[in-house]
Amino acid sequence: MDILQISHLKKSFGERGVLRDLSFSVPEHTVFGFVGQNGAGKTTTMKIILGLLEKDGGDVSVCGENICYGQTTTNRYIGYLPDVPEFYTFMTPLEYLHFCGEISGMDKRKTDKRSKELLTMVGLSEEKRRINGFSRGMKQRLGIAQALLNEPKLLICDEPTSALDPVGRKEILDILVAAKDRTTVVFSTHILSDVERICDEIAFLHEGEIVLHGTINEVKQRHKSTGFELEIENVGDAAKITNAFPFAKPLSASHFLFDSDESVDDVMRLLMESHIPFLRLEKREPSLESLFLEVIGK
Amino acid sequence: MKTFIAFLKKEWTEQIRTGCVTILGIIFVMFGIMNPAIAKLTPWMMDLLSDSLAESGMIVTPVEVNALTSWTQFYKNIPIALIIFVLILCGTLTSECQKGTLVSVLTKGLSRAKVICAKLTSLMLLWTSCYWICYAVTYAYNVYFWDNSIANSLGIASLAYYLFGLWVISLIILCSSFSSANTGVLLGTGGACVIAYLLSMIPKMQLYTPMRLTESMPLLTGVIKPGDVVWATAVTALLIGANTVIAVLVFNKRKI
Repeated sequence: MDILQISHLKKSFGERGVLRDLSFSVPEHTVFGFVGQNGAGKTTTMKIILGLLEKDGGDVSVCGENICYGQTTTNRYIGYLPDVPEFYTFMTPLEYLHFCGEISGMDKRKTDKRSKELLTMVGLSEEKRRINGFSRGMKQRLGIAQALLNEPKLLICDEPTSALDPVGRKEILDILVAAKDRTTVVFSTHILSDVERICDEIAFLHEGEIVLHGTINEVKQRHKSTGFELEIENVGDAAKITNAFPFAKPLSASHFLFDSDESVDDVMRLLMESHIPFLRLEKREPSLESLFLEVIGK
Repeated sequence: MKTFIAFLKKEWTEQIRTGCVTILGIIFVMFGIMNPAIAKLTPWMMDLLSDSLAESGMIVTPVEVNALTSWTQFYKNIPIALIIFVLILCGTLTSECQKGTLVSVLTKGLSRAKVICAKLTSLMLLWTSCYWICYAVTYAYNVYFWDNSIANSLGIASLAYYLFGLWVISLIILCSSFSSANTGVLLGTGGACVIAYLLSMIPKMQLYTPMRLTESMPLLTGVIKPGDVVWATAVTALLIGANTVIAVLVFNKRKI
């Protein structure tokens, strides 16, 4: 079952069309990476799903219910972590989660139990001071706790790792992976290593449209670039390579790129016959970064 | 209702922990004490100044003070207290929109109407406490020093100004639903008061504008009767209701 369905979504700000014709769906219990450059429209899409912005056209449904701007009843299925989560800084983390439970209409005892569980999960159970003095990473972790409080069917995270140090990023990604068993995670980012690490499915957003969508393997298969790389041991042998294969692109003095697989036999033959020691002869696997640059035309 | 009360509780906690209640409490109690104190000290000050005034040819006759003098001070000072109240609390909604603290609250399913109503209720309760504390302090000192029975329609006059304060608060909420900045809220609230003041200068409108409710001294001295503020009371109550409904409708359609 698809938790989130978006079809032909459109949104403009004045003359500037941010979302032109956005369509994708997110199946249950997946971690869905929503990738795009800064200003591509990721936050706009998320805010439309949450009923915080009005769409100009198209349909968005969460758990089979259409969203409605302003009075969004579908938000009861959603947990949201903004890019920069802001809290009532005069509260302690536990007080804030209790408050969130109350406004979500949760039972008091359940709220208390769940708040303590979540604070332990995000490593804030020992924090008794007010949110006022919290670091960015601590706020991000508390943000995840508040987003997961009412056991949402869909957890939407807007660039949750963008401004964090490597340790903070790892912590957040681990929490998101752990949350996958209980919920579906949609997270926007432009950090492709994060996507590769935790996502089951990805969608690349470019100029208001989805330009690439599927599981990580599907996407890589679909855009499998041909070619291979050769790295030789001695720089002195480089001339032999360039003389035999003038079309080989030197990436460094001892590192060459071959655009086509066709010449792999010839290269191997040359290496054998000329006794050229080499470190690696490797078929090129497209990285998400190269795919991303390819689809956005850079 | 449960979610409304939860948000209201958050408002109270915020007002207490951010020191808002303490500051306003001190200011309103101070004003409450100042009113009878100034009245009480007036003869002594005049006496003190009489010698220097006599040198410049001015003769100071004995000044008689009573509860009415103290109530005059009360109705001179309470507009200043109300302005301070507005200045301190005009950012109640705009700051939440600017900081983004409302995003988590709204995405948890709390309706925007409840946010508006809880903010309005919390400000009204705070105004109620501050205003009546100030009133009670002045009243108690007046009883101690003089006799409050000298003032006509004391209860009506105080209720009228209290209602005027509630109208100003509803303006804060109305302007906050439109504006994203505190200055917009202040300009809107101030502008509405100026318009009400200008309308009150038109003889035919005089009886119906909220400004009529601020004419406390004519009520206390018996120049106007309680019946003369009935229309203004009704119009102001209607305006408070209308401001709230419009604020909810506008806020429902606002980008967050």
